[in-house]
Amino acid sequence: MARLLSSLSELSLTEPWLVADGLSRRYRNGRGVGPVSLQVRPGEVQALVGPNGSGKTTLLRCLATRTRPGTGTVAWFGQHNREQARSRLGVVFDATAHADELSARQNLAFFGTARKAARDLWEPALEAAAVAELGSEPVSRLSYGMRRRVLLAEALVGDPALLLLDEPTLGLDVSGCQWLAEALHARAQLGLATCISTNDTDFVEQVATRVCFLVDGEAVRDAPLAALLAELGGTREIQLSYRGSSPINSVRAVTGVERAAEVEGGLLILGRQRDGLIPAILATLGDLDLHLVDLKVRDPGLADCFLQLTGRALHD
Amino acid sequence: MTERSEVALQRAQPQFARRTGPRPTQLWQLELRGTLARRRALIIKLAFPLVLVIPLVTTGAPPFFAAMLLTVLISMVGTIGTGVTITRARGSGWLDRLAVLPLPAWRVSLELFFAGWLVDALQATLVLVVIAIAERPDAATLATTLLLALAALAFSGSIGLGIAALTDHPGEAMLYLAVVLAPLLFLSGLFTGVPAGGLRYWIAQILPFSYLDEGFQVLLGGNPPYGDPMAFLIAAIIFLAISVAAAASLGRAVLARTG
Repeated sequence: MARLLSSLSELSLTEPWLVADGLSRRYRNGRGVGPVSLQVRPGEVQALVGPNGSGKTTLLRCLATRTRPGTGTVAWFGQHNREQARSRLGVVFDATAHADELSARQNLAFFGTARKAARDLWEPALEAAAVAELGSEPVSRLSYGMRRRVLLAEALVGDPALLLLDEPTLGLDVSGCQWLAEALHARAQLGLATCISTNDTDFVEQVATRVCFLVDGEAVRDAPLAALLAELGGTREIQLSYRGSSPINSVRAVTGVERAAEVEGGLLILGRQRDGLIPAILATLGDLDLHLVDLKVRDPGLADCFLQLTGRALHD
Repeated sequence: MTERSEVALQRAQPQFARRTGPRPTQLWQLELRGTLARRRALIIKLAFPLVLVIPLVTTGAPPFFAAMLLTVLISMVGTIGTGVTITRARGSGWLDRLAVLPLPAWRVSLELFFAGWLVDALQATLVLVVIAIAERPDAATLATTLLLALAALAFSGSIGLGIAALTDHPGEAMLYLAVVLAPLLFLSGLFTGVPAGGLRYWIAQILPFSYLDEGFQVLLGGNPPYGDPMAFLIAAIIFLAISVAAAASLGRAVLARTG
């Protein structure tokens, strides 16, 4: 703790630690990201959320110093020097690359040393990630989920001021997601900053303080999580599963339906809560030549917020 | 966990620590230990030069051809060892991970290069051990040729690094390496000998393979226009220094390329 406080004392706690200003990185095929501007402040967990191909990984790679932006700038801790910034970053990309023949302990020893994390923090990092028991096994013999845990332990060791995680819940089981959520909460309470890129909206709702929605490489909304969810007050998410031709146009015409989008095997509807909304939708479906398989109603979440904003489903 | 199994675990801990050894804290240590841990691959890696050198020295192959083959072998071991390994590391995402660590690019590059060079050096040393047993050359020539082999490996390794900065595919890297290496070996006089003068003579003087080729010829009982051993020694040191500097300066280019 003393070490952490000492390292934080060198940083401004009022200024943002990560500032992307008009950042853009486009590939030859036109895909990529930007221009995007965002800030991550101490104690914040910023989530980059968007469907596949929305540019969130490219954006995270730029923020993690791995990829140079085509235009625009990124500042880490008030400076534009990427090499200097790396001493305060912990980064996890999607690949689980390790020295596979060596153990998690051996790998962590290297990453811990490179990131100047004190030796006495190495073992607790493995224990926290629940990989200490298998810590002497070659990484190649670990399951994908366990390798992801080792990867996260290597990034979390030494409490980097700014943690950048691409698809952090990939391969994690329920207890793994819970551990990671707790670790990110603990970091936020210590005043450390985190930026994650994911479309796991359940996880984002657990950990994020701010959310930036990305669509086709552009930031369509960047706001506090609480504000985004509050905008959905009084709405309901309705999921329809059916067999037959899509009823989307008829459903959109029902009074109270704000958004509707086709998802795999059905329809996702966001409707203003009112008496008679569900019967009205069912009546509309009854007029059509389709077979209703299932209907679920639940409180709306971040995925519905994305649907309301963009008219598109976050998950296919 | 029962009390008995806890005791057993506690007894096993020091043994396990001994087996795992000290933890690698530097990249070259991690890479080297990773290579040493791949036992089967390591045995094949060490054995395959022997498959070439043992028949050459035991059947009395003409020194000119034997030296040419061994020099080609050393050059390929160095280039492929480094070039293909690094393109593979990029494909697996390993370079991505190294690139975002607070380590300067030159150091990452140099440590990757060094770890590969150490294993390659082991291969070259085994080749020279076989020659030493079969031919019983004088110690000075043997030591000079060993140093030349190490310098040629380093030179080849830096070529491999350069190629790894150009491509993401190991197969493509192999093709590039062949395209670069073949003319260098030709210009080193491996296939035709070094002319007594002219441009090709001077080009051969700045390539380590020509020195190594001559060193092997002397070891194998040939009679090349072998120069002053001190000049060969100095050349080996200069080639080593140039290769190390090249490996360090290629760091940024190798890491900047994203797979």
